[in-house]
Amino acid sequence: MTITITFTGIRQTIKQGQTWIKKRPFLTLAGLILVLALLVGWRWTRPGARFGPLDGTWYRVQVNRDLYVGLDPNYPPFAEWTPDGITGIEADIAREIGRRLGVETHILIMGFDGLYDSLYTGYVDFLISGLQVDSEYKDWVHYTRPYFDAGQVLVSRADSPIEHIRQLDGGTVAVEIASAGDLGARQWQRRLHSLDIERYMLPDDAMRAVQNGEVNAALVDTVSVRFYLNEHDGLVMASKTTVPEGYRIVLREGNFRLVEEVERALDDMIADGTLEEIINQWLPTSKTQRMSRR
Amino acid sequence: MRINLISLAARLYILAYLLRWLAPASPYVALGPPQMVETQHPVVCTHTRLTDEVQEWKIQRNMEMVREMGTATIVEFFPWPYVEGERGTFNWAHFDRIMRHAQNQGITVLARLGLVPAWARPPVHEKVTNMTYITEDYYDDFAEFVGQFVMRYGDQIEGVIIWNEPNLGIEWGNRGVDPEAYTELLRVSYEAAHAARPDILVLGGALAPTLEPEDSGSGMNDLRFLERMYEAGAGAYFDVLSAHTYGFTNPPDMAPDPTVINFRRVELIRAIMERYGDGDKPIYITESGWSDDPRWAVSVRPGQRIAYTLEAFEMVEDWSWTERLCIWNFRQPLDQRNRRDAYYALVSSDFYAKPIYEAIQAYARGWENPYQP
Repeated sequence: MTITITFTGIRQTIKQGQTWIKKRPFLTLAGLILVLALLVGWRWTRPGARFGPLDGTWYRVQVNRDLYVGLDPNYPPFAEWTPDGITGIEADIAREIGRRLGVETHILIMGFDGLYDSLYTGYVDFLISGLQVDSEYKDWVHYTRPYFDAGQVLVSRADSPIEHIRQLDGGTVAVEIASAGDLGARQWQRRLHSLDIERYMLPDDAMRAVQNGEVNAALVDTVSVRFYLNEHDGLVMASKTTVPEGYRIVLREGNFRLVEEVERALDDMIADGTLEEIINQWLPTSKTQRMSRR
Repeated sequence: MRINLISLAARLYILAYLLRWLAPASPYVALGPPQMVETQHPVVCTHTRLTDEVQEWKIQRNMEMVREMGTATIVEFFPWPYVEGERGTFNWAHFDRIMRHAQNQGITVLARLGLVPAWARPPVHEKVTNMTYITEDYYDDFAEFVGQFVMRYGDQIEGVIIWNEPNLGIEWGNRGVDPEAYTELLRVSYEAAHAARPDILVLGGALAPTLEPEDSGSGMNDLRFLERMYEAGAGAYFDVLSAHTYGFTNPPDMAPDPTVINFRRVELIRAIMERYGDGDKPIYITESGWSDDPRWAVSVRPGQRIAYTLEAFEMVEDWSWTERLCIWNFRQPLDQRNRRDAYYALVSSDFYAKPIYEAIQAYARGWENPYQP
């Protein structure tokens, strides 16, 4: 069998199609409307859908004056379920955002594995639960700027402060075994002339080695550092993390008005110091521990 | 006119068919020469997650990394609905693929069998059920699947695990759990498996460690569930007891206590077996491990996870009654940093070997632990 497609054939087919449409204008119109309706339906029902200038979630928040926030209360001091209710950094941030939006915040607790599903189905308006950017969800969620960087940060003696790991060229860094700091130090080991890595079982052991002068610095997680430095003098932590791990609020991308409002509230909280105040209330800090930004 | 429309549709179809060839081909997977697992510790085992792995090269890479870790045995899940979506029609293609690669890498499989196809559950307009809902009417159909499975793969597997964590409501059709009903399911499955192949090992139990009281709607204390299984006569219907034991924040050597979930809780399971005269059967720990999730109150630090896991292997090797310790889980198919199971995995979804993988590999193959403090 030979199949021949010629321009004449295509022209004829188009012409016949035109004739068919002219004879049946209402049927054609109905077909077009159906296709359009299907397209609109698809746009409207997909998660995080945005349709024109409307943000249905923001509209509901405005009318009902409520905001539903999902979190897993299994991560003190960020979120914990206590007899007094849901407490912690994330609970306080969520309530503060609600206050700034002029609405009441309702915190709904759920298992960590169910967080994204609850956002997907519209059960909650946003998530705040130590979540980091995950490419798996990038087509329908919006990640805000980080409200906390829990990454790996350098800790050094106050009398010989180290701000960047490059300053450790030729020196020794202490890390927690198999942690993100361990992996990060190994990457820097390949980039510097020489960097010795000493591994310790726990972050506190690594920081103790810095205190005892056994190593030049420790690369450990920010939360452990803040607790340790609260009880031990003579150490400082760098102003920025070497291996960042930003915790972000997660919203449906299609709720563009809510996204804007939450981002704005977060920006304001950073600008007026409220965010730092909340964090410092739950994570101890001392006035000498953090190096000034360079 | 109608003929022309058909002609146009045919031309568009041909064009689409031709354009399809522009798509990149899926990676070619060659089986390669047969391999052998090099290990000094056959007790080391892991639970793989290939059930939902679509791409064959990923199945192969999983198996290669399992072999390179010095692991001669895996637990893998083979869901009944995947093979018998229509009653009486068996499609073994995906299972064949997994078995082919396991065999080629010299790995023995402990096959976990479970879940229920839609045709064996009530229609959704009558009752909304999940995939673990099974009624006595379909026990024989499940047993038929077990028998067919053993007949097909009997020489490639060490044994079959009948169901998963039947003492949890979510694993028993979101209903109250029922040790006597599970015992009946175990009985018919045991008979079908042994009819297909007398030397196959049937593993029963696979109970979740939980402290839920007996009248709880969501589960039942594993110790009590096991006692009731024995009282219902389950002892005659398994060759090996499958046990799940997790450490959470507790070190492996923490003494067993009925009110605590820790690694040595399996010793309490063992005591029940002995009390019911079943002490000559071994236990296979088919799920275990510690999580190093940095955002979970019941996880441990990464270094502790390594130390605890290696210590657990040493302890199990000292116990005469345990032959396998399978770490949950080897790898998750999807990048799931925001899922708890990702922090139990030994390998990331993009096949990055985590430090815990390297530590277990060193232990299994008799090398020096690279993560010694």
